Amino acid sequence: MLERLKKLSPEVKVGISLIVLSIILSIYSDKNIVHVLQQNRGLIIKILLLTMLAVCIATIVHFLIPPDYFKKYLKQNKLIYLVSASVLGILTPGPVYAIYPIVVILKKEGINNSILVSYITGQTIFGPARIPFEIGLFGMNFFIYRIVLSLVMAICAGLLYSWLSKVFPDKK
Amino acid sequence: MIPYFLTQLWKTVFLVSAGLLFALTLGSYVDNSLIESIKQNINIPMQILYAELIGFVSPGPRYILYPILATLRDYGIGTGVIIALLSGHVLIEPSTFFVEVGFFGYRFPLKRFLISLLVTFFAGLLTTFIID
Repeated sequence: MLERLKKLSPEVKVGISLIVLSIILSIYSDKNIVHVLQQNRGLIIKILLLTMLAVCIATIVHFLIPPDYFKKYLKQNKLIYLVSASVLGILTPGPVYAIYPIVVILKKEGINNSILVSYITGQTIFGPARIPFEIGLFGMNFFIYRIVLSLVMAICAGLLYSWLSKVFPDKK
Repeated sequence: MIPYFLTQLWKTVFLVSAGLLFALTLGSYVDNSLIESIKQNINIPMQILYAELIGFVSPGPRYILYPILATLRDYGIGTGVIIALLSGHVLIEPSTFFVEVGFFGYRFPLKRFLISLLVTFFAGLLTTFIID
């Protein structure tokens, strides 16, 4: 049984944990959960449709643009490239674990850590597959605002890392 | 391409469905009076700080937060707090912290954690001033 559980993918493990937590919460809740689910039927259908759309986008991006495509653009090792690293991060598809192999290679090639921080920050706070969720649930204005904010946050993270490294340098 | 799509689809739909169930079950504990009391008793900067800290320690992939955010938005939680939760959840996770320690040493994720905390906090504050 334990061996079977260990073999499950992280998504399935998290999903099962959430279902177990939900069952525990529903036992102690004053409200009837079936009734709550029925009341939110519209939201459930909307989110599931957006999920399908998000997976479609993620699949297309995954096959059209492999994550290591961006590697060559990040090799210019200057702080001015914090902007391009942030943009490339925002455009890079996939979960955060998928970009660590690229980041490790870039690090071995001598890329400044500040640039890597901008890239990781951009990649984690945004991504092509988030588009349907953000537009569908929060609207186009929120989505545009989020893109601009993510870009600013990624650049600031790189700049702050560069500044902080002068006080608390990376270990050689 | 189709087998990849179907594998991703079932994993993601399963995860998001579980996230939805959790969000709606958790939402059954939340009502307007609770949200009003939080809004009145905790000031905006502290709400943003709590939101990002909750985001940092929350495990799980990116999509599971959206049902919770949609529920919170319906209860009138500010956009600044939603931005802090959204960014905090993905910028640093406990699991990626240890991955980064393994690859780059402890200083890299430690500095990234501090910077993420600061940047997310100001992003939440800025959003509160601009949008809310």
